[in-house]
Amino acid sequence: MTTLRLRGGRVIDPTAESADAVRDVGVRDGRIVALPPGAPVDEEIDARGCVVMAGGIDMHTHIGGGKVNLARTLMVEDHRAGVNPFALPANPLEMPSCGGCTPGTLATGYRYVEMGYTAAFEPAMVAGNARHAHMEMGDTPILDHGAYVMLGNDELFLQMLHEGGAATHNFAQIRDYVAWTIHATKAMGVKVVNPGGISAFKFNQRRLNVDENHVHWQVTPRQVVHMLARALRELGVPHPLHIHGSNLGVAGNIESTLETIAALEGLPAHLTHVQFHAYGTEGPKKFSSAALQLAEAVNANPQISIDVGQVMFGQTVTASGDTMRQYANSGLASPRKWIGADIELDAGCGVVPFRYREQSYVNALQWAIGLEIFLSVTNPWQVVLTTDHPNGGPFTSYPHLIRLLMDRSFREEQLAKLHPEVAANCALRSMSRELTLAEIAVMTRAAPARLLGLPDRGHLRDGAAADIAVYREHADREAMFTTPEYVFKDGRLVARSGRITAVPVGGTHFVEPGYDTAIEKVLRRHTKAHGLPSFDNIVIGHDELCRCCNGGRLLPAACFETTP
Amino acid sequence: MSALESPSAPAAAAPWTCPFCPLLCDNFSVDAEPGGWALSGSDCGRARAGLARFGPAAAPAPPQIDGVSCEPQAAIAAAARLLAASRQPLFGGLGTDVAGARALYALACRTGAICDPAGGAALFHGLRALQDRGAFTTTLAEVRTRADLIVCIGSLPSERYPEFLRRCGVGEGGAAEVVVLQPTAAQPATGLVVAGVEVVRFEGDLFDAAAMLAACVAGRSVGDAACALGALATRLLAARYAVLVYDAAQLPAQGSLIIEAINRVVSTLNQRTRAAALPLAGADGASTVNAVFTWLSGLPLRTRAGPMGLEHEPLRFDANRLLGDRAVDALLWIASFGTEPAPPVVDLPRIVLGHPSFGAAVQGPGTVFIPVSTPGIGSAGHLFRTDGVVLLPLFAIRDDGLPSVADVLGRITRELSA
Repeated sequence: MTTLRLRGGRVIDPTAESADAVRDVGVRDGRIVALPPGAPVDEEIDARGCVVMAGGIDMHTHIGGGKVNLARTLMVEDHRAGVNPFALPANPLEMPSCGGCTPGTLATGYRYVEMGYTAAFEPAMVAGNARHAHMEMGDTPILDHGAYVMLGNDELFLQMLHEGGAATHNFAQIRDYVAWTIHATKAMGVKVVNPGGISAFKFNQRRLNVDENHVHWQVTPRQVVHMLARALRELGVPHPLHIHGSNLGVAGNIESTLETIAALEGLPAHLTHVQFHAYGTEGPKKFSSAALQLAEAVNANPQISIDVGQVMFGQTVTASGDTMRQYANSGLASPRKWIGADIELDAGCGVVPFRYREQSYVNALQWAIGLEIFLSVTNPWQVVLTTDHPNGGPFTSYPHLIRLLMDRSFREEQLAKLHPEVAANCALRSMSRELTLAEIAVMTRAAPARLLGLPDRGHLRDGAAADIAVYREHADREAMFTTPEYVFKDGRLVARSGRITAVPVGGTHFVEPGYDTAIEKVLRRHTKAHGLPSFDNIVIGHDELCRCCNGGRLLPAACFETTP
Repeated sequence: MSALESPSAPAAAAPWTCPFCPLLCDNFSVDAEPGGWALSGSDCGRARAGLARFGPAAAPAPPQIDGVSCEPQAAIAAAARLLAASRQPLFGGLGTDVAGARALYALACRTGAICDPAGGAALFHGLRALQDRGAFTTTLAEVRTRADLIVCIGSLPSERYPEFLRRCGVGEGGAAEVVVLQPTAAQPATGLVVAGVEVVRFEGDLFDAAAMLAACVAGRSVGDAACALGALATRLLAARYAVLVYDAAQLPAQGSLIIEAINRVVSTLNQRTRAAALPLAGADGASTVNAVFTWLSGLPLRTRAGPMGLEHEPLRFDANRLLGDRAVDALLWIASFGTEPAPPVVDLPRIVLGHPSFGAAVQGPGTVFIPVSTPGIGSAGHLFRTDGVVLLPLFAIRDDGLPSVADVLGRITRELSA
């Protein structure tokens, strides 16, 4: 039994009775406990002058799987330090690993942890690539992890939806298929990407609006979204449908985004990287911010949550399952090269390098739109802080983003550097809101944990896992959030002042909803007919998951009770 | 886990994934018979040849130092000493699975070794083309379901991948026409007659053929000599979903230029219809080890943790070149999938991890030989399929009592750190 006391820190826990209070935090055997004042402990840390928060949770970050490894391969020139190779780590606990916008898994783990994050979720796991995704996450040290499996572009789902007709008389079968897929791939949730559109692109359809039919299956994105959201609801999967909507990046796509929210008919859902889905067509360039319209819809629909996908200036690479939209954007690739793939009747991927430039009207406006969304959604519990790593920018830019949100004068300084028309006209100019530490704690810890159904993460109340970040108070919030003084993972000190001090293997979060095994017959027929891997080889069992994930702990999350 | 425990094995008929080519067929079964393994559901020559290297029961195979049998620990210690004494080791062959690759990365970082797989040239043809210009690829089930025209560039893959046509649905109700584009310069007009496969011959080499096909597809005039290519381009342009297949290992030096041209054809076609490339590559663990190194380090193979940092040298770190230049002073060779690729004959201290039958060939002084289990025969494991997307589980079909590559490498790394 080991005990630890963090003494006298300013504890920011938005779920606690007092969200912002100077107090001690006690830890026993990896869990937060109330230690009696003065009781002897194995270790006491002076946290006076520090802000104490739960470990950060990134619920949408592309850290593992096929498209990420393709991005690393494609961006080989980004995996150098100028003309020289990346230096080897000075810290003997770290293994060599490099990369800027798509670092190796080892570097990904180290850099997240040094920033005070203790969990990260891969949002776009292709079912046929699930083992690979888990392998990569298992090789991402220290962080706990999990993934959302992609559905809604797989031919079997679209075929079932087509066969079910308007009445969806086969709803139970589709629901079982969704549950089986989560079970087989050991996923934490389900993501739909350009609903129906990835498949439609394989049939040479180049765009797909929310009420437009898939050229082959004759179903609409509206139907796909509604069906998946309903299935997850009935299965009791804690994380609601994770939606990358239709028409990503297209001017005027706010219409699709609002239609997608309407398609849910009140069902809960998480709309991801909404910055890329909040564009209007006003102004001389026919490209404008629709952040306020989006925020209005989010404010009016408390069952909806979002993450932003903030754009940060500089080189990055966009890695997405949305083959249709990545193909459309591939002409903007910088450097001029890109990778696409049609994948196994299941999904697709597109990897397009991109450089966001301050002097580009579009990029500057994208930056402003992201910030406008953050600042105009009233309830921080509905907004999660992301850059959609690496699509809007690398996760290492989070401290900078936090400062932009917390410090209006800093924000204005940055805005002044941008394309003059954006700097002069954007709604962001007049936004005076500065997010508080408690609001940042919600957006980076508490809300992600709640949205994922992780009751013992994202807070510091008794019984929580002792994933803790201790930041030295600093008026420059970027400096403060870049290098916490201490980071603990399950009670163990894993980073001290930006230096990794221990490298435990992280755990794997997943859910296991129940299903009727009759669905397996359908799947057996489907896999055989289409030359897919043998049905018997698809399901990842617990032992295999454990090996894929390097022996890390398995962390099944409970589904909630559903009324039959 | 015991060597026999296989990932996610269902209780029914024992599953098997064939580890002997990157198609990783997993819908056949093998049965132990007195004369050896019997393959059912396929007459694949490559699978049979692979299986023939393994009897249903394994004979004991102790490690050897300088051709003399020894205890496992002695071999591990000798291997560690050999690596510790080396100023620049080369890790070659790299015939192993994900677990082996993970362990290999740790040892490579510990020793500063350069890693290049057997068939490194083929791997880098593909990587070079991908990194310079990008690509659009597809996977086996997509080809089978969607392709209406499959054009194999250079050679018919079923010569080296006997199940290839069947995997594409040819002869099983698939709708695709299959064409082989074969330059006359590449080989004489052999009697390549395969049901359902059409041969288009072209006067010239593969560089010309691929470049001119790309030009034809893009609507540029290339002269009369290329009328066969013009006709093929017309068919490609008319196809709903065309697939261009190539086998990187069969391409000549500078083969990345041919792959680039293939990718250009795909890119042009995708402007109006749908098309994709399907590389056939990565046999014997090469693409699997490359994938693992890429995700761990951020860089592909032909990288070392050297004095300057993580040095990636896709040309300089070619194993054959390094051996030829005597630029390395020790070799660790890994070939756990059978008797190929055999360790090169070199006058260097060697550690060989491979099939027990290597024992006879690696007798010389300065050689440590450690027989290892074959993933998919004696132990479970994971390999990437040719398309680089599907990571398939391999299952043990017998207990060979041998350690896995990962076990051995892990022990050597620990010995070095002790």
